[in-house]
Amino acid sequence: MKQYFYLIKSSVLYILLTGATVLMSFPLFWMISSSLKTLSETNSAGIVWIPDQPTLQAYLDIFHNTNFLRSYFNSVFYVTLSMFGTLISIAAVSYAFSRIEWPGRNFFFFLMLSTMMIPAQALIVPQYVFFNKLNWIGTFNPIVIPGYFAGGAAMIFLLRQSMAQIPKELDESAFVDGATHLQVWWEIILPLLKAPLATIATFLFVGLWNSLLTPLMYLQTIDLYTLPVYVSTLYNINQTTQPWPTIMTAAVLTTVPLIAVFFVAQRYILESVVISGLKG
Amino acid sequence: MPTNPYLNVLVIAALTVIFIIASSYGLGALARLIIKLRGGTPKVQENTFAGYFFAAPWIVGFLIFVLIPLGFSLYWSFTDYRIASSAPVNWVGLENYTTLILKDTSFRASLINTLYLTVIGLPLQIGVALFLAVLLNQKMWGEKLFRMAFYLPVILGFNTAVLLCWRLMLNTGTGIINQIIRALSAAFPPFGYLNRAFIFAQEVVAAVFLGLNTGKYNLLTKVIEAGFPTEVRVPLWVQSPLWTKMSVVMLMVWGCGTMMLIFLAGLNSIPKELHESAEVDGATGWQRFWKISFPLLTPYLFYNLVVGLIASLQIFEPIFVLYRDNQPIVSSTISMVYYLWQKTFSHFEIGYGSAISWLVLVIIMIVTVIQFKLQDRWVTYDVY
Repeated sequence: MKQYFYLIKSSVLYILLTGATVLMSFPLFWMISSSLKTLSETNSAGIVWIPDQPTLQAYLDIFHNTNFLRSYFNSVFYVTLSMFGTLISIAAVSYAFSRIEWPGRNFFFFLMLSTMMIPAQALIVPQYVFFNKLNWIGTFNPIVIPGYFAGGAAMIFLLRQSMAQIPKELDESAFVDGATHLQVWWEIILPLLKAPLATIATFLFVGLWNSLLTPLMYLQTIDLYTLPVYVSTLYNINQTTQPWPTIMTAAVLTTVPLIAVFFVAQRYILESVVISGLKG
Repeated sequence: MPTNPYLNVLVIAALTVIFIIASSYGLGALARLIIKLRGGTPKVQENTFAGYFFAAPWIVGFLIFVLIPLGFSLYWSFTDYRIASSAPVNWVGLENYTTLILKDTSFRASLINTLYLTVIGLPLQIGVALFLAVLLNQKMWGEKLFRMAFYLPVILGFNTAVLLCWRLMLNTGTGIINQIIRALSAAFPPFGYLNRAFIFAQEVVAAVFLGLNTGKYNLLTKVIEAGFPTEVRVPLWVQSPLWTKMSVVMLMVWGCGTMMLIFLAGLNSIPKELHESAEVDGATGWQRFWKISFPLLTPYLFYNLVVGLIASLQIFEPIFVLYRDNQPIVSSTISMVYYLWQKTFSHFEIGYGSAISWLVLVIIMIVTVIQFKLQDRWVTYDVY
């Protein structure tokens, strides 16, 4: 009897979970399916789950679309450039907040945590004026350079937590051997933190790859557009029919790097969401 | 500076690195000097130098990109500064703020839209997240796979590409969501009734919120006069001002993965013995959830509430992608940040935009403080 009850309970559980998974993943399925359709199929009055004759025409076409290709290159370029600068500066600041005792450390650490309360959008107006004064509107600078100043308090906090767990004896013995802080940081501490650094790199990548507001504000011309900005121009309300297969093809190609990164790093990501969330 | 944009940013990035290293060194040396004058030991001096040297990127960045901009925007919020015009900047006192609070209907709309997302969207989002977390907490085969599937929407989340896919799915006529609703209603009449009841309830609530905004309730009377929806009715997701906010709520619920992970961590932290002893005493699963799990989950619920509320004030991408050009309906769904963007970058009203951003900041702080004050009433900390 008890076994019977257990069987019912777990099958209900699996039905619910599978149902939820289908619902949650449906947009992804629909995106891929629509990218393989013809225009008339995407606008058809009946449901076309999977096109009868999947066509790769939209994919072939989009590889001849220089604007799309350039925006793809722009995204890869700015994300890489910004990500590495941000990662290294975050690693440096976390080192100061976890492994050195210095007067003012607690004050600055608390200040840093409290900046998490400030919404980024509260700063966009004065920052826009500032970058305008520097003549940086219409360049990649405003979306790359701020990250170099250890942008992202939550990320610093996350890395600091991992760094603080490394035993103190490790750097002390290195200092006895005459090592400098720079050497300890780069040669001893950072190599021990490959997993947290990869996690933070993933978060930075996802954030930068999805970012729409700042590239939209600063890039201005189509040859500088990043993917999200360019893809948003494909949908034009003034057209009577939208080129859905093309839009969905661009969407699939935009999300492929995100999904790939997520699958590689998911174990670390899921753990650190909780750490950074709860203790921040 | 090179005119090639790629070369240009590479050169600027290199210069930035040099600037950061130089300012780090300068800050470290300055701090060391101060400690030396105060008579610190060489060891303390060395640590002070290293500490400021390594922390300098953040300290300098905080000054350049946070503190100084906040100061300037506070000043501009009392002026009529416009970036495009060459007219002199005038001090206008509190005028921007009084206009915003008393006269600006768009700003009021953004507040009321946020209220809708908070009152209708946030409980749904939190509820679904909690439900999924409880399901996943049963510890069965494949748990990791399900967890990944539920978190993936957060990663894809507000990417324009994914939002456009939603735009396609939400089409009133040919969108897949309404097609499925139509097919299910035809095949299974009770679902049809459920759908019509949902449409009616949603439209009444949305009409009340739109009425709050304009002060006129003619939409509400229209909805009520139209009565219970006919069989052919489907939700008008991205087409009607009554539905635009509901579409955003759908996106919020879809992206509940972070909240789910937080709840899951909370459920994992509950000692097993509590449930085991309650089970021995004959408590049902339902009782155990409400009497044991739920009170212990309240700190996690509180966290999700604070973060979720702040996030709903800041929604930008869905509104931009789904409704940007659709002038008649965009006002039914704008968020504060969307309005800020619109004012500042299509009208270049820096003074007014600064006032909006300061109000957003103050509102976020007030809301957070209120939530922290109220938490003593219902959040349980450490009973075990």
